[in-house]
Amino acid sequence: MLNRLTILKSFLWASVGVLAAVSMVRFTRGLGAVTNLSDVSPWGLWIGFDVMAGVALAAGGFVMAATVYIFGLEKYRSCVRPAILTALLGYFAVAVGLLYDLGLPWNIWHPMIYWQHHSVLFEVAVCVMLYLTVLSLEFAPVVLEHPLFGRPIFQRFLKFLRKITIPLVIAGIVLSTLHQSSLGSLFLISPARLHPLWYSSIIYIFYFISAIGLGLMMVVLEGLLTSWFFDHKVRKDLLPGMGIAASVVLWFYVILRLGDLTLRGDLGLAFDGSWQSFLFFFELGMAAILPATLLLFRRVRSSITGMAICAGLTILGMIGYRLDMSIVAFARPEGWGYFPSWAEIAVSVGIVSCCILVFIFFVEHLKVYDEPAHVKPGKPSHDAATLHDLMPSEQASPRRYSLVALMAAVAALFFLPVSGAEPVRTPVSTPRMVEGFSVARQAGDFHALEMCEPGDRPLSAESPIPLFAINGNRNETLVLFNHAGHVDREGGDDSCRLCHHLDLPYDLNSACFECHRDMYEPVSLFDHTLHVQKLNGNDGCTECHPDGREVKDSETSTACVECHLNPEATSVIIKRPDPRWQDAPGYMDAMHDLCVTCHKRRAREEPGRFADLLERCDACHDADYGPMLEEMAPVRNTSRLIVQNGDGH
Amino acid sequence: MIDSPAILIDTTRCVGCEECVAACKEENGLGKDRPWRGQGAIDALSATRNCTVHRRPEDHFVLQQCRHCLEPACVSACLVGAMQKTPEGPVIYDADRCMGCRYCMLACPYGIPRYDWDRAIPFVHKCTMCHHLLIEGGIPACVKACPQEATVFGSRPDLLAEADRRIAGDPDTYIDRIFGEHEIGGTSVLYISDIPLDFLSWKPDLGTEALPDLTWQSLSKVPPMILGMGAFMSGAFWVINRRMKLSSREDEETNA
Repeated sequence: MLNRLTILKSFLWASVGVLAAVSMVRFTRGLGAVTNLSDVSPWGLWIGFDVMAGVALAAGGFVMAATVYIFGLEKYRSCVRPAILTALLGYFAVAVGLLYDLGLPWNIWHPMIYWQHHSVLFEVAVCVMLYLTVLSLEFAPVVLEHPLFGRPIFQRFLKFLRKITIPLVIAGIVLSTLHQSSLGSLFLISPARLHPLWYSSIIYIFYFISAIGLGLMMVVLEGLLTSWFFDHKVRKDLLPGMGIAASVVLWFYVILRLGDLTLRGDLGLAFDGSWQSFLFFFELGMAAILPATLLLFRRVRSSITGMAICAGLTILGMIGYRLDMSIVAFARPEGWGYFPSWAEIAVSVGIVSCCILVFIFFVEHLKVYDEPAHVKPGKPSHDAATLHDLMPSEQASPRRYSLVALMAAVAALFFLPVSGAEPVRTPVSTPRMVEGFSVARQAGDFHALEMCEPGDRPLSAESPIPLFAINGNRNETLVLFNHAGHVDREGGDDSCRLCHHLDLPYDLNSACFECHRDMYEPVSLFDHTLHVQKLNGNDGCTECHPDGREVKDSETSTACVECHLNPEATSVIIKRPDPRWQDAPGYMDAMHDLCVTCHKRRAREEPGRFADLLERCDACHDADYGPMLEEMAPVRNTSRLIVQNGDGH
Repeated sequence: MIDSPAILIDTTRCVGCEECVAACKEENGLGKDRPWRGQGAIDALSATRNCTVHRRPEDHFVLQQCRHCLEPACVSACLVGAMQKTPEGPVIYDADRCMGCRYCMLACPYGIPRYDWDRAIPFVHKCTMCHHLLIEGGIPACVKACPQEATVFGSRPDLLAEADRRIAGDPDTYIDRIFGEHEIGGTSVLYISDIPLDFLSWKPDLGTEALPDLTWQSLSKVPPMILGMGAFMSGAFWVINRRMKLSSREDEETNA
């Protein structure tokens, strides 16, 4: 029994499965694990689509309620119940979407006790909470009509609800007006970031008007879709009226937006050829200009295809308007764009799927549409190839849908960062220049480098030289490096290629991390697994953790130097964190190889001149330097320093 | 505690030693840097850095931190009052109230509030001007740590006078402007500089209007809106309903 509805439901259940998988990671590992949000894009798809667009898509509820109950246009009464149901589900979707987006979702009720009436968001939150209540009461009669609620107490409540219909509808309209427009007011606070084509002091009017147009079109489209899926008769007589109403509202919206731009004197921005100007017209054209124009034609208004296309255009365009405001036209630094991760998209799709499933459930079991949903009895199948077809449909379908959802969830888990957010590679600054001295050591022709202490300069006879303080991994294991001395000793400007990659034509400075991929990964020098192996498994714990009761961390453990008395840099120190990084050794390995190989060779070739000191870790890694990194002042103006030639090692 | 506490940052004196950052990290227990997307550099502001020193071309250094606006956008944005303008002046964050909507991050024209993206229980992080020290009569950790007196602490009028004095004393070096004197209604962290500081805000010129005023223009319309819309809808219902009843009665009468 594979009809349209079955395929739709299978897809929806699969989305719900993926949603379940993403939810697990989202709520245990945090926002960063599943989203592409960052400090420069604090709001993403979940706000832009689930909340901003979700509220607008649910606007059909108050529009149809006003049309029928207040303005008495009785012929549209059949649209009211589906519109209210869509609105109710839409607002539930908004609330659920918020639970995903809020960093501390368990505090979602805080606006009830902490009132901050200067915040637009507070007004939105209160209105949405109240409206959700109003919508539930408006829809409750549909549920209470079901025979399941035949007991007198329910019937008395039903009678009461019917009595207060009109006050409820008016409250719903007032609340909707307030928060539909206030969603736009949210952006009034950021004139610095929102592009002037979208920023206006009357955003709230745009939001309200566009919500009305969008609400009408949603009612049209979902009417057409339910007819298609449930084989209802389409109420063609209602289409032209709704079409003309939508056309008027959309034209009003277009004129307001263009008029506002003209009055502000920013109309030129819409024609300056920037991507924002194209986006502006694309969005406005799709949401309003094109459908509003099409709807002027009687043929379009009275045809199902025509209305479906117009409704689709407006819905996509208005979703686009909300997304543009909250994401696309919102300024970010160069190179830090935002595009939702697949998991963010999966959550949005999943929540919408849940809503559609509930919608279908209500349509199938309650009197949402005048015409009860006919679920066509499936043909008795004797195809043994599909086992489920041997079962009665009411047993087969739950199993089928559960299987689909479960499989989708398992599949999704494979692609999710179950272990949590991974820190992101971010460029660090180039080595800092500091002032220091080259101090002769007793063994051989060896100089140690020392940084200037703040009061050193007048006391010292030598002039300070500029040194690099290399701290590539920013883990406070700093190395001082006398670049000028090396240049001089190795043969001046011709010697660069001895250490640097200069063999790529036209490649003046490829950043190190482009090849040495682990450069900015947080790494630890210490390999615990290796130590466990070398110290005979669990028997060796106490070697490093003498007191088993204490927390085992670097503070409480035996210091490395107590065993490694004479540490030498002999082989690879850091393992590649990931086999993908085969293209180049890690940054620290590369640096060690570069320096240590040369140092060792020198020590071997000229043992008299360079003592074996040169190949030991502490030749460069002086234990004193760690804390000094915070204290040292960088060289302000390198040109005033005298570079002393020949002050190498 | 002094009236309207403020910080004056003189970028010409900053040598970029990051003593202030180290002191801030220690005082506020921020821990090691955890790089995250969108920071631009690991040493930019982040959940682990409430203040940071930017290296600008030609070895100029600029300390970036919360400006503690006189009329802060983040405070007006926060729907549960987790961002608070204390009566003393600093803008502080109450983690117990926060629900994590991040509207404050969107509202701040200087992009100051940062988030614990990699944590399952995340909070907003920003400079509090070491409010806990101020109320005990202390001064902010960053100011105390600065070896160059590039950041000084004092009351806002005093610091404005001091800034004027420094600019007047060396007009060739300084740009003739105290950054934060009038911007978006004035800020408590003031800058004087020999280089433009446009990069510290989302837009070069933020104007002098306080940002909360912009949203208040819309919010103040809420009560009249409730009354107006409610009255209009009730009136419309009453009129239309009455007409419909009358016309149906007429129909009945004519039928009868």
